Amino acid sequence: MVNKIEVRDLNCYYNKRCVLESLTINVIQNEILSIIGPANSGKTTFLRTLNRMNDLDATYCRKGEIYLDGEHIFNMNMENLRKRISMLFAMPIPLPMTIYENIVYAPKRLGLITRKSDQDAIVEQALRDASLWDEVKDRLNTSAMKISGGQQQRLCIARILAVNPEVILFDEPCSGLDPISTAKVEESMIELKEKYTIVLVTNNVKQASRVGDKTAFFLMGKLVEIDETDKLFVSPKEKQTENYITGRFG
Amino acid sequence: MIKLSPKLSQKFSYALLYIATLLAIVPVITIIFIIVKNGISAISLEFLTSMPKNGMREGGILPAILGTFSIVLCAITIILPVGVCAAIYLNEYAKDNFLTKIIKLSIVNLAGIPSVVYGLFGLGIFVMFFKLGVSIIAGALTLSIMELPVVITTARGALNSVPYSFREASWSLGVSRWQTIRHVVLPNALPGILTGTILTVARISGETAPILFTAAAFYVPHLPHSIFDQVMAMPYHLYIISTQIPNMPKNIIYGTALVLLMVVLTMSCIAMIARIYFKKRRKW
Repeated sequence: MVNKIEVRDLNCYYNKRCVLESLTINVIQNEILSIIGPANSGKTTFLRTLNRMNDLDATYCRKGEIYLDGEHIFNMNMENLRKRISMLFAMPIPLPMTIYENIVYAPKRLGLITRKSDQDAIVEQALRDASLWDEVKDRLNTSAMKISGGQQQRLCIARILAVNPEVILFDEPCSGLDPISTAKVEESMIELKEKYTIVLVTNNVKQASRVGDKTAFFLMGKLVEIDETDKLFVSPKEKQTENYITGRFG
Repeated sequence: MIKLSPKLSQKFSYALLYIATLLAIVPVITIIFIIVKNGISAISLEFLTSMPKNGMREGGILPAILGTFSIVLCAITIILPVGVCAAIYLNEYAKDNFLTKIIKLSIVNLAGIPSVVYGLFGLGIFVMFFKLGVSIIAGALTLSIMELPVVITTARGALNSVPYSFREASWSLGVSRWQTIRHVVLPNALPGILTGTILTVARISGETAPILFTAAAFYVPHLPHSIFDQVMAMPYHLYIISTQIPNMPKNIIYGTALVLLMVVLTMSCIAMIARIYFKKRRKW
């Protein structure tokens, strides 16, 4: 039970409006932390703060501390941080190039590929780990824009795996996918936690109960409750949590 | 107020809109028709490849063609890198603060300055202050200053059309901002930048006022040797032969206009075809 990420008293603002309030939360290594909560509860802001995707937004500001393996992330070089904490977005965003190029794109830029002969192996391994290899192995040189949405999302996962990060952030990764593709993505998430630490933001309460080791419930920018997934879904401590997970909210 | 029946008002407004469209097209077609009709007899290989003779009343327009080409080529080599770099800075890096707002505003307004003002500015700065003299380079620099705002604006449009999500996807993998621009944004913005550039070439080949005081000569008996040479240029040559030289044969005037027109139209057509081609190949 090692804390991979420690968040201490984090406050986030857009245009001076507080969207995350004094958040203190830990993410444990090789576990899946799922975050549930209604819209506008600050889930995505939290994720985008973890790998500093919001830093370019002039209306955004933040207070507080986040440590990755004890290292303060706001003092880290942005590229190094994102190499360690990668992010998968809600909509699949393949880059406009071939499947093969999509995977080698980041490793090449980051200098992770030293010999050209390693490339094929890296591509195959990443696609296998994202359980996409069998579906695309014969058309690695077709445009990534031409495969289905579910395949694109798994390609994006493969693209992240090729960089070999430590933490992967999933921002509602299945919101645009059909149930079968969703099942595949969830399956790969559970396999991935052997090697990686995962934070999953989801609108789908069932998904959180299926894959999360721990589940946190956010409401209006505040952490209401965090517990082992089994406990939180069986006997939530807070009334609000119970209302939300049983669908009696609002 | 006369009240027309719906049927009649429909007919009336249709006719009105149709006539307005005709009014826009008819002059263009008429101009092209007149120029082709009067000028086609002058066009020959000799006309395109020989020096003017007999006080420009005979012979060809080779020095003017070459002069225009060298000015345009020189101008584009200045405009393209500077324009694209400025566009990248403004679109990708500049924070949205007061200074960048001023810069953006002045870029838009620079495009509205009359071209003769640029010509005088070029005369003052490049020809006299920097002592470049009336030369290809002085003309090219003047044209560059005039066209840069336009090129920056088109290049920014092209960069902007690359979805922001591509940048985020790239950043989220730890790829730096410059690498993202270099490997994701620029390759996908290139078609737009390219078509914009071709149109710029078309526009500056026809410009007269900016090169009037900075590059163009009434008559040069030899072809340009270096970028510090004064040259003849097609638009200015056309102006001279149609106003300054008595007993100028009509077909040579129209022939020169036809060549200039063809150069500009060819450029526009290439830009159009390139745009269609790239649109088909676009991957998102």
